[in-house]
Amino acid sequence: MNRPISFILLYLLVTTNANAQQPDLRIETSEGLRILIHSQLSPLQINRIHSWHVKIIDAHSKPVTNARVAVTGGMPEHDHGLPTQPRVTEEINPGTYLLEGVRFHMPGKWSMVISIETEENLSTVSLDFDL
Amino acid sequence: MKNILFLIVLIGCLFIASQLFVTSGVSTVWSSRQIELLKSLSLSALPKLKIDPSNRVAEDRAAVEFGHTLFFDVRLSGDSTIACATCHQPEKMFTDGLPLAEGTKLGPRHTPSLVGLAYSPWFYWDGRKDSQWAQALSPLETSHEHNTNRLEIARLIDGDKYYSETYSMLFGNLPEIPQSPKGASPAGNMELKNAWNGLNEKQQFLITQVFANVGKALAAYQRKIMPGRGRFDDYVDALDKDRDPTGESLTSEEVAGLALFIGKAQCVTCHNGPLLTNNEFHNTGVLPITGQLPSMGRYDGVRFARADPFNCLGKYSDANPKDCLELAFANDTNDLVGAQKTPTLRNIKETAPYMHGGQLKTLLEVVNHYNEAPVSLLSHNESKPLGLSATELQQLEAFMNTLSAPLATEE
Repeated sequence: MNRPISFILLYLLVTTNANAQQPDLRIETSEGLRILIHSQLSPLQINRIHSWHVKIIDAHSKPVTNARVAVTGGMPEHDHGLPTQPRVTEEINPGTYLLEGVRFHMPGKWSMVISIETEENLSTVSLDFDL
Repeated sequence: MKNILFLIVLIGCLFIASQLFVTSGVSTVWSSRQIELLKSLSLSALPKLKIDPSNRVAEDRAAVEFGHTLFFDVRLSGDSTIACATCHQPEKMFTDGLPLAEGTKLGPRHTPSLVGLAYSPWFYWDGRKDSQWAQALSPLETSHEHNTNRLEIARLIDGDKYYSETYSMLFGNLPEIPQSPKGASPAGNMELKNAWNGLNEKQQFLITQVFANVGKALAAYQRKIMPGRGRFDDYVDALDKDRDPTGESLTSEEVAGLALFIGKAQCVTCHNGPLLTNNEFHNTGVLPITGQLPSMGRYDGVRFARADPFNCLGKYSDANPKDCLELAFANDTNDLVGAQKTPTLRNIKETAPYMHGGQLKTLLEVVNHYNEAPVSLLSHNESKPLGLSATELQQLEAFMNTLSAPLATEE
């Protein structure tokens, strides 16, 4: 196989894969930051500890790097939190953060609060979804 | 007058007929979403049991047999009267039928079932242990349970031909076990602690390692205690969009109970998955055990687990620290005050009484408790009153009785 053909094949593989990977959850903050969440377990399910890739891009589609990202959550209807305390353990790519220790233990309405702190500002957004 | 009487009787009959239809005919045609939920509760959906990275002999056949023998051996107690099987009786689905466990003395908690427990990341009602082998060690040294100590356990293994040979095959040669003092443990009474402090650091480590390995063999056996398929599983597996299996394996009363279980009664919010438990901790306003202060539950339990020398991150664990996710990311916030672990509902009919202190004698008392959702004495009750009728409570009980089946046995 000559080099141009293999390059085209590689390009197709990468783009096809990228198109297939829609985020499991997404939300925008009032400051215009877009948060795209890819779960290690897709679709999301209960009773299994797993991690999320949290990608954050700004209004100009640039990755938000070196941010302090914190995630809490719970079920308002049952007045309790998550069974775990997830933590961002590293920024695996510019603007993409590894959130470890996510687990849901009940079906129903969940509400996750994501806070993103950069040098410039602090954004907090509530992400609601059904499991 | 006759016509009016006839009309009243007719209306009465129609009302009774409509109630019968509501109670027996409800939800026998399930929606596709309900079918999806029901199928997630069948044992057919139970995934393969994951390895326990903290216990390298968990899947070893010889360790299972070693653990099986240890489980029934009364010599694992101070006065040679108590075995694990004294409270975890196989004929009672590995419970004892008592409100509170009775080892060498009366204990403070109800004996939980061991059925399917290997799927749980946490053990004890308050989750104070993060592996089945770490759990197995604690009762051995507790004064009201087995009332023995790690030095005497190590000496028992060393002095029994089958035990010592099997131990050596699984874990390597036994270390030299001191013949005196009689007993020693850092977890015992003052006499045992003083004796323990009289041993050097290396002796302490080697004795504790033998003790931990005994726990690992006990866990290898307990991982095999799994529920068997019941009528409920047959019913759910036969469900599809074109066929209504009512009458094939469940009665209409049981089906009505199942509809409540996944609907109005909200049981499935915590009793979910094929083992009908999320293996998590909830405050459901259960009254404190008579004569005891209200339990802090998981709030304390998670702190005990972190401090436990036998936890996933400890020196007796075989796990790589990166495998200890549950311990590393465990929640410890105030909403866990008074929270106790959700038990499996598999074989629930055979494991009365119920709750962490055996406070409720029957399943009907349990569903009544959730129907009322009383105020919790500590923190808050997560559940809300359900407004179920007496008939509906009986239907729920009837459904839960379908979760009984002989335990699964290996080929």
